[in-house]
Amino acid sequence: MTTATLNRPLSADELQRFGAELDALRARHLADLGAADARYIRRIVKAVRYTEAAGRALLFLGLFPPAWVLGTLLLSLSKILENMELGHNVMHGQYDWMRDPTLDGKTYEWDIVGTSDNWRKTHNFKHHTYTNVRGMDDDIGYGLLRLFPEQKWKPFYLAQPLIAVIFALLFQWGVAIQELRIGRWWYGKMSGAELARNFAPVGRKMRRQLIKDYVVFPLLAGPFFLPVLLGNLVANGLRNLWTYMIIFCGHFTADAETFPKSVVENETRGQWYLRQLRGSSNLEGGPLFHLLSGNLSHQIEHHLFPDIPARRYAEMAPVVRDICARYGQHYNTGSLAGQFGQVIWRILRHAFPSQPRTAWA
Amino acid sequence: MSTATAPSVVSRLLQPLIAPHVFDFWASRLHPGWSWRRALARVLERRVEARDAVTLVLQPNRHFAGFEPGQHVNVTAEIDGVRLTRSYSLTGLPHPDGRVSITVRRVDNGRMSTHLCQRLRVGDVLELGPAYGEMTLPPSPSGPWVFLAAGSGITPLMSLTRALAADGMPVDLTLLYWARHRAELCFLRELRALAAREPRFRLQILLTRETELLADERPGRLDAALLAQRVPNLESCQVYACGPAGFVNDARALTASRARRFHAEAFTPPPVRSDVAGTVRIELRASGRTLEVPAGQSLLSALEAQGLTPAHGCRMGICNTCACAKTAGTTQDLHSGETCAEPVSALRLCVNRACTDLSLDL
Repeated sequence: MTTATLNRPLSADELQRFGAELDALRARHLADLGAADARYIRRIVKAVRYTEAAGRALLFLGLFPPAWVLGTLLLSLSKILENMELGHNVMHGQYDWMRDPTLDGKTYEWDIVGTSDNWRKTHNFKHHTYTNVRGMDDDIGYGLLRLFPEQKWKPFYLAQPLIAVIFALLFQWGVAIQELRIGRWWYGKMSGAELARNFAPVGRKMRRQLIKDYVVFPLLAGPFFLPVLLGNLVANGLRNLWTYMIIFCGHFTADAETFPKSVVENETRGQWYLRQLRGSSNLEGGPLFHLLSGNLSHQIEHHLFPDIPARRYAEMAPVVRDICARYGQHYNTGSLAGQFGQVIWRILRHAFPSQPRTAWA
Repeated sequence: MSTATAPSVVSRLLQPLIAPHVFDFWASRLHPGWSWRRALARVLERRVEARDAVTLVLQPNRHFAGFEPGQHVNVTAEIDGVRLTRSYSLTGLPHPDGRVSITVRRVDNGRMSTHLCQRLRVGDVLELGPAYGEMTLPPSPSGPWVFLAAGSGITPLMSLTRALAADGMPVDLTLLYWARHRAELCFLRELRALAAREPRFRLQILLTRETELLADERPGRLDAALLAQRVPNLESCQVYACGPAGFVNDARALTASRARRFHAEAFTPPPVRSDVAGTVRIELRASGRTLEVPAGQSLLSALEAQGLTPAHGCRMGICNTCACAKTAGTTQDLHSGETCAEPVSALRLCVNRACTDLSLDL
């Protein structure tokens, strides 16, 4: 079934009311922000710090295999929580209303090799404003993969099943260089000097992260240098795989749509909401799963309300789903296995030439 | 010092290893007043100073750089998950162990003042900004001095009075202190004792709404007759005035042109000029947004009404926290009424309104 048949076309009046209902939901939650949200994000900060400390401490006993395994898992957990529920959400400005300088969306720096400044530009601005608009949202295939038939096929894409795996393992490095747009330099559209200038802050962040995880903490462990280094490498790798899987499920499932550039011209609020809905897909699971995904399992709610604290998405989801049902719009959700299976199918299928089946109406 | 943070050598060694906010997290587990670089202060003592007014004695960590009597400080507290910042005058004298005092009067519907007066407990932690303000004493004060205080305007003038008293009262000082009711007067016992002990210090209490007055109290507002009686040598006096905007304006009109020197600070935000109708467009260059706001309001209130949260402190144009660059457009100072059409590097949003469309670096 194609998405065109899943979604009822809306009249201008219906679109206006659809947008107004979502605006009302947004306003209800904004008015209610307060101490409970502040307590929650501080608890997340605490969990990040304590799991990191416990993980690193256990890794110092790394010659004892169970300690190494547990230490590595705790450090992965800390990095996943920090990147997703804390860093990603804080950088969206979800907690700016607290005016806490350590939770400030404009200055927060997260624990990955990419700089927060570049992320705020590619993700917060480009991806969230122009979600799934071809040629405007750099997250469509990350300039590396062909996931939609509307993307032009090149022989290079035959290698994408392998490239996708390497990309997953090195995901944080992909995020780090995304905004540098090395392709433009490769094709001579950007000077080497400009690339070097843009790379300078990214290089500093990379160096800091590498020194922290692969020099300082291993050295502090003295004779256990190697187990600590390996533990940090595996923890970073597990975090890469997990975030890759969650993020790819957000916009690249079978029913997720992409859009031509023309849609953003004179787009109304209702149309913007509708595009966010049609370009996003949710994951089902329990509270722990939602937490570990940084609530990106509620990708639809996140894209409708990116600056509302993510802990509220679970509460908003049934309301959004009900609104979608009443306006005849498909609410794309499923299990992690099901949704990620669809993503893998896209990676494999569109490595080969393919044609769009229906045009977006 | 008990609330000192890690010494700077340790800071330098730790710098590449740990981000300041991560350091602060662990430091605050050990001691609530420790921080990498933020000036935090623990509440050591809380005493009721008058009706609806408390004095808080605070112990700042080593990041607080000290103050001069007469200065103010931005105080930040977290209330219902939101950090609020307001300016308060330091009422004590600089102390060798670094402790400072602020005196807070509870304002009806004031979130910060209600929190500080009613909910804050000994041991709680507040954040402090650097001390600021020009209403301080010269290195060697001379000639007769007059302090005109109304309501909570007493707070910086109390610090100055204490500083002069601690210095052996080197000048003749007259303090005229207005309140509506006797129960609202702060520092009364200390001021009366000082007046009894120190011949060069004269105190006049003025109560505007009290029906029965004591021997050293008088009724009435600030006017020329009162001034002529209490300060006959005004021409040779230095005058400091502090209080609500209306009081300060009266003080300025009565004394500024006659006294040897006049300096004043008003403790209330400027009134909204409702006579200025219509809206203007404000371009926020840093965030790439353009907003339509009413022209009659201060820019800070207008931006906040649009859901923005610009950094701010005093909301009355003295602390400069909200200052940002203006690249185009004309603004009017709500205090002075002066207009400014030039680009400026620091426009104080809280006391300026837009006369035309503006471009701000926000």
